Amino acid sequence: MATKKFRCNVCGYVHEGAAAPEKCPVCGAPASEFTELKSEKKSWWHDKNSNVYIVVYATVMVVIVAALLAVTALSLQGRQRANTLNEKKEAILASLGAAEQNYDEYIAAYAVDAQGERIESVSADEALQMLFDLKKAEANATYPVFEAADGRIVLPVNGTGLWGPIWGYVALEKDMNTVAGAVFGHQGETPGLGAEIATEKYQQKFVGKRIFDGAQFVSIVLRKGGAQDPEHEVDAITGGTKTSDGVTAMLKTSLGHYLPLLEARRNASAGAEAAVGTESADTTVGNAVPVVEEVSNDEKDANK
Amino acid sequence: MSMNDKNFKYLTGPFSANNPVIVQILGICSALAVTVQLKPAIVMALSVTVVTAFSNLVMSLLRNGVPSRIRIIIQLVVIAALVILVDQVLKAYVFEISKQLSVYVGLIITNCIVMGRVEAFALANKPWPAFLDGVGNGLGYGLILVIVAFFRELFGSGTLLGYPVIPESWYATEGGWYTNCGLMLFPPMALIIVGCIIWVHRSHNKDLQEK
Repeated sequence: MATKKFRCNVCGYVHEGAAAPEKCPVCGAPASEFTELKSEKKSWWHDKNSNVYIVVYATVMVVIVAALLAVTALSLQGRQRANTLNEKKEAILASLGAAEQNYDEYIAAYAVDAQGERIESVSADEALQMLFDLKKAEANATYPVFEAADGRIVLPVNGTGLWGPIWGYVALEKDMNTVAGAVFGHQGETPGLGAEIATEKYQQKFVGKRIFDGAQFVSIVLRKGGAQDPEHEVDAITGGTKTSDGVTAMLKTSLGHYLPLLEARRNASAGAEAAVGTESADTTVGNAVPVVEEVSNDEKDANK
Repeated sequence: MSMNDKNFKYLTGPFSANNPVIVQILGICSALAVTVQLKPAIVMALSVTVVTAFSNLVMSLLRNGVPSRIRIIIQLVVIAALVILVDQVLKAYVFEISKQLSVYVGLIITNCIVMGRVEAFALANKPWPAFLDGVGNGLGYGLILVIVAFFRELFGSGTLLGYPVIPESWYATEGGWYTNCGLMLFPPMALIIVGCIIWVHRSHNKDLQEK
């Protein structure tokens, strides 16, 4: 049954039915005073609780917000990247204990391949940029090296801690063996436990450790229960065993990438020393001595 | 855009009588986290003020169009967008401080003050009063943050804004009698200081005292 609505113009009474009543039951006005109310269906943009309105509203809102954020992120990206790059430069200098130095003057950055050969096509800036995605650089067998003016080198390392990525910079003395300093960072290790790797106090423990035992690469081990070998081991963090293991693995893997470079450097410097006639080479390179002698003989031959 | 008495009250009410931290006890979590030093506390206070002010403004402008069934989600979108904006700007222009604030900038989103003001005030008021209310509440929150950070940095590190204020010669290491109070650097101390502020504040505002 199609009911229509009629409103009394005099008192506002609304009558429902097929036609207007003869007399208004409230005020007694005649049927001529009634007007029919058109039952207009509200269109969706007027009905704020209709599903269509809600979906359209949410969509428009999200698109606007997304566009706004995208524009901001893109326009600020340059500055943010410069800041992060600066932070990395500072970390490299900090690992050398040379925070007061000017990075651009003090550090020469380059990249080496898996054979330890310098890749000429990679500029100093590109080597630095590799730090943004070190995993990718390592997958491409390109390894950035940061060489200080005094001959020490800084090698970036990265790995996985308990909760997320950990990274760092290990500075080696000119002998390519003794650690001159180390800086570690992490994304979300447990504060007070694993996060201790990022404290200066803990990083100091690495200074003076050696990554080679004779000619053998042993890296540095963070030993649970306390370091037993003062040359190659550091105390693990109490309660942060997983993170400590992560650092151990990180050092072993990442420094391992540079082995050809480090060994070539060690042999070269030992060779140079032997050629000059100093005897100190024996104590620092140990088992590598036979190789050294070969090299030095070659050099002597060449000199003849 | 007139600053009549009523509008002025929206702005200054949250400073004392209606303070979000010490009267409504909101936003305590971040008050503990970022008040070890003054500088991050000030930046946090300003960031929260920007977010409350503009989320109030935007939501007040949208208040007639927002479908009430999804208004909370819309509020969150607006607040989250503002927080990300603030975070991006901090990262670009004050990188050191943004590193110190780290996750707490992102956590402004969950600061009850922001959503509380949007829901309670902005959705029912015109943009200008809503904006003032947002500024007022942000500053009221910031005021407490700065007071707490002042005491924590002064007694915890002996510095203010990073500058040493306790004479070097007072320190025990230099032959004096003074040592910094390490306890001040821990979050519980912020709670105790907030408690002391509430105590002082209520003893001066009889109408806030519960019978």
